Amino acid sequence: MVGFAIIGVLLLIAGISVVVARQPVYSALALVGVTLGLAMIYLMLSADFLAVAQVIVYAGAIMVLFLFVVTLLTAGKEDKEPADTLAGQRWAGALFGLLVGGALAVDAVLHPAPKIAAPVVPGFGGLHAVGEALWGPAFVMLAGVALLLLTAVLGVLMLNHPEAAEKIAGHRRTTPPGVTVSPAEGEDGA
Amino acid sequence: MQYLLPEILVAGSALLGLLAMVVVPKVRGLASWVVLVGFLAAGVDAATMWNVTPSLIVYNSMAIDKYGITVTELVLLAGISTILLAWNAEHFGEEFPVLVALSVLGMMGLGGATSLMPVFLGIELLSLPLYILAASRHTPEGGEAALKYLLLGAFSSGILLFGMALLYGATSTLIFVAYPGIASHAQVWLLWPGLGLVVVGIAFKLAIVPFHMWVPDVYEGSPTPVTNLMAFGTKVGAAIILLRILAFGFYGQAGAWGLLLGYLAVLTMIVGNLLALPQTNLKRLLGYSGIGHAGFLLVGIATHNIQGAQAMMFYLLPYGLAAIGVFAVIRLLEQGQDGDRGVILSDLQGMAYQRPWLATVLIVGMLSFAGIPLTGGFVGKFFLMQAALFANRPGFAVGIVVGTLVGLAAYLRPLQAMFQRDGVSERVRTMRWSAAGVMVVAVAVVGTIGIGVYPAPLVHIVSQSANFYWLKGG
Repeated sequence: MVGFAIIGVLLLIAGISVVVARQPVYSALALVGVTLGLAMIYLMLSADFLAVAQVIVYAGAIMVLFLFVVTLLTAGKEDKEPADTLAGQRWAGALFGLLVGGALAVDAVLHPAPKIAAPVVPGFGGLHAVGEALWGPAFVMLAGVALLLLTAVLGVLMLNHPEAAEKIAGHRRTTPPGVTVSPAEGEDGA
Repeated sequence: MQYLLPEILVAGSALLGLLAMVVVPKVRGLASWVVLVGFLAAGVDAATMWNVTPSLIVYNSMAIDKYGITVTELVLLAGISTILLAWNAEHFGEEFPVLVALSVLGMMGLGGATSLMPVFLGIELLSLPLYILAASRHTPEGGEAALKYLLLGAFSSGILLFGMALLYGATSTLIFVAYPGIASHAQVWLLWPGLGLVVVGIAFKLAIVPFHMWVPDVYEGSPTPVTNLMAFGTKVGAAIILLRILAFGFYGQAGAWGLLLGYLAVLTMIVGNLLALPQTNLKRLLGYSGIGHAGFLLVGIATHNIQGAQAMMFYLLPYGLAAIGVFAVIRLLEQGQDGDRGVILSDLQGMAYQRPWLATVLIVGMLSFAGIPLTGGFVGKFFLMQAALFANRPGFAVGIVVGTLVGLAAYLRPLQAMFQRDGVSERVRTMRWSAAGVMVVAVAVVGTIGIGVYPAPLVHIVSQSANFYWLKGG
């Protein structure tokens, strides 16, 4: 319980700093803190494999990607925040967040979940158990997720087609009717 | 596993189509053929399973029963019509049929889902290809439609997922057909917010009134075949899973959610049809009409009786047939001059005299939307009203009547434009028939009138399939 409280407080601090940090790099670094905290909670719940995967995949791979993007996009730019388009949206958002969080916290205190008496089965949360769950009961779902990822890849291919960029540029260009694109330009896209 | 063969066939045709694009890039349109054959094979295979004893498969997370099979056939019809409407249109991109197949696969998964995990996966697999397809023409309007759809879709998926997490917390299982036994002694404070969030998440997909804002822009900006899939397939998937979750998983709490959904249904029917009135763009008009029809479907869920479930399932087919007919007309008009510029009401001028056959299709479709006798839409509305009265909810029936009346005015406006004598619009003059388009409109017209004149076979099918209470024993 004490461990959970400490990790919870750290997680909250990291989570809030993701949102309020002025530099995107700090946000990304705070997100590393969130992932590590989550991994520790997984460890406490004896989901060992999930904890390791969380660290490797999120803190390792995805955060590096984030950092690359942040470095490429924000290098040498001023960190001025755009003005709010909706008046008071921050306060409203904070208020709603506090209300929902508060309601869940009150619920958790008033109606605590029943204690699980039985100890976890040996090997629970290990590589073997996760593999058996994924390739056994959840196999159809795993296949569904695979198709979902395939769709995402297809979408990237389809929307970033070289012809597509040309076409959008063509829409923006205000070509008077009757004027045709020169053949050389047309062949570039083909 | 052999019960999942229709799903496997559709997934396989998507993968094979993808492979065909790479291996034989010379043969244009091969992917469309592969996916079409896959759809037809899946439809035949699902039909042969009609008399299988209902059972739970995949560790209780999917069911094989007549309910799921009916859904499969409906969404395959939507998928086939979409492929045919985009036939030979290379500007949609070669990946078009593959993405349609993946989206249809998601809808099929929703039909059989008995656990929240396939529900979420199905909704995501249904939506993700649609986000991409909405932007597939690379027009600014398409981009706007895709972005709006993506943002609101992600938002609603977040709500849905939060609700599912709360339901899992309350009942400690994701298999919602097990909820009736658990819900009575579950943690009420997690159960009710969870149920509410799940319903809101699905209501976004179904376009129920407070959550309908995205529909008109998305329908207008997307390419017409894609709009057809959104209007028919997405509605089928979302309505069907809402019915199974509520009517089976939460039948003990029906007193609370039934009335609430009924109010939403009445609001949706009236607001959707009212907003359809001033529209001049045909696809926008159909978007608002789709909102109105979502309200009609919701009546069948809100009444919470077996008649309501049957009426809702019945209503899906006439609505879908009328929708594919009207979208086919729009698509045929788009094949003339001006390409993809939205078809507006003045584009229909003189169609009744210049193109009488095309005009007939539009008349049949619009009259079926409005619910005029001798069309399928009338029979559907009749059954919904019957269900509302059996459930002792006359208010719902009044809502149906008011919604229908307002809708009638909205649907007559395109017909009025079509019969205007002064001149023929350029679009009507330059439109071109295509074999695939003719097939779609033929099925739509024959089906719509057929259901309206002789509804008995369809009534028989839905009365068998809407009975999914066998789950109580399983």
